[in-house]
Amino acid sequence: MIKIENLRFRYPKSKTILNDVSLSFESGNIYGLFGRNGEGKSTLMKIITGLLFPKGGACEVFGENVSRKHIRCLQEVFFIPEDFELSALKISKYEEMNSVFYPEFSKDQFYELIKEFHLSPDENITTLSFGQKKKVLIAFGVATNTKLLMMDEPTNGLDIPSKSQFRKIIARIADQGKCIVIATHQVRDLHSLINHLVILDQSKVIFDESLFEVSEYLWFGKPIEKDKHAIIYGEPSLGGKAVLPKLDKDETEVDLELLFNAVLNESDRINQVLKKKYYDTSI
Amino acid sequence: MTHQFSYRRIYHFIRRDLTIRKSNISTALIVVSAILFIFFLINLREDYRISVGEFISVFGLFYIPLGVLLTFFICKESHDPKANHLYFVLPVSVYERMAAIWFTATILYTIVFSILSFLAGQFAILIGGVLFGTDFHLLPMLSGEYLGLVMFFCIIQPVFLVGALTFKKNRIGKTLLVFVMVFFGVIIYNLILFTMLNYRYDVHLGDTFASEAFGMAQNDFSLFGMLFFIGLFGPVMLFVAYCKMVEKEV
Repeated sequence: MIKIENLRFRYPKSKTILNDVSLSFESGNIYGLFGRNGEGKSTLMKIITGLLFPKGGACEVFGENVSRKHIRCLQEVFFIPEDFELSALKISKYEEMNSVFYPEFSKDQFYELIKEFHLSPDENITTLSFGQKKKVLIAFGVATNTKLLMMDEPTNGLDIPSKSQFRKIIARIADQGKCIVIATHQVRDLHSLINHLVILDQSKVIFDESLFEVSEYLWFGKPIEKDKHAIIYGEPSLGGKAVLPKLDKDETEVDLELLFNAVLNESDRINQVLKKKYYDTSI
Repeated sequence: MTHQFSYRRIYHFIRRDLTIRKSNISTALIVVSAILFIFFLINLREDYRISVGEFISVFGLFYIPLGVLLTFFICKESHDPKANHLYFVLPVSVYERMAAIWFTATILYTIVFSILSFLAGQFAILIGGVLFGTDFHLLPMLSGEYLGLVMFFCIIQPVFLVGALTFKKNRIGKTLLVFVMVFFGVIIYNLILFTMLNYRYDVHLGDTFASEAFGMAQNDFSLFGMLFFIGLFGPVMLFVAYCKMVEKEV
């Protein structure tokens, strides 16, 4: 679906943001794109959606160079940016004006989601708070039924009940075989939602694994005394929780926050443990 | 297969653009119509008629500046860092975007502004009849001068379209500055060329011989220059605007 090879990008008069990045995103997955501030998460999303052009390498979406802005490609991609401004129209008018461009747009789905978010189609967008505007855009993005849905910090500005609603909605549409990419700092908001994690650090991809593989090979929790020598990364602030190679221990739920910190601090060791699977299967 | 050019999408894109800017555009048109009405009324006080020249002078005073403002206003969304993401991800090809912007800012604008001017003028004639006893007459709108003015706007509009897409801040000022600089550049280039080609023959600007030469050259090349201006300048500028839109990033 998305194929990125040796991608390079830098803004004018700025350091390199993305350097030799290679990734692929497949349908039926929800990808979490994590990284520290300024590590290029939003930039990568903008390149994938054709809003920025790479300085080197290639970025293909549905087999086409996305920079060329082919209609077939644009009709299958929707992007929810972190910061945005919607036109000063009624919600229903906004839908009417923009939905015509998306062949698979579902009006019923849009108005159901608007209702689910406790909004009214007759409300004027200018009178809404940022969080409510974000709900309108999320509802619109989901209702476009594009094969690729990109979201940059989608839970920013949403209240606690809305975050939970957002998770339910995304879980629902993920079953329809779409590819969803979510860039966020709010690791906990995506807990139990994403099934593949990509971490960017120092202009490169330092982690790109499915959470199924992570739970197969890594163990998350409070280690007992005899396991302390095997700790890859531990955090006293998280109640003494640590990441260890799973080995013969029972499978644990992936702690995204802990995994993220572990990858940032011990990426080589984490990747070493995960790569072990390749030796296992090849021997 | 999805085509890169669809009249239906252009129609929807124009509709979207106009709906979003409906209140601003309608306010501007109402204000200008009121001003046009006052100007026409003032013209009527002198000779109780609005002549072709009077109509064109009032019409031209607002038609071109307002058209330029509309061009910049329509392209504003492409520079707005909070709105341009959603603007550019919209499944509309660059051809369609350009066609929609050009059609709105030239053809549609000219039709709407002409109708409003006609109505404002005709209304002024009616009111003039009540106030100053003006004879009722039809506003002499459709004339060679009117068509010339419309054609002139259609030719120069792409220049402002290029400016509207190129510059992020102070777009009107910068476009006018470039326009003036290019104009003076051409004059200086001509003077340098004239001096280089004629200094050996001791011909100076202001000499009778020099003015005759300029006059002859003007007669020989004015048709070529006009054809270049009408047939090539506008399309070339439209192509430059298209290239700017292709290269546009957020």
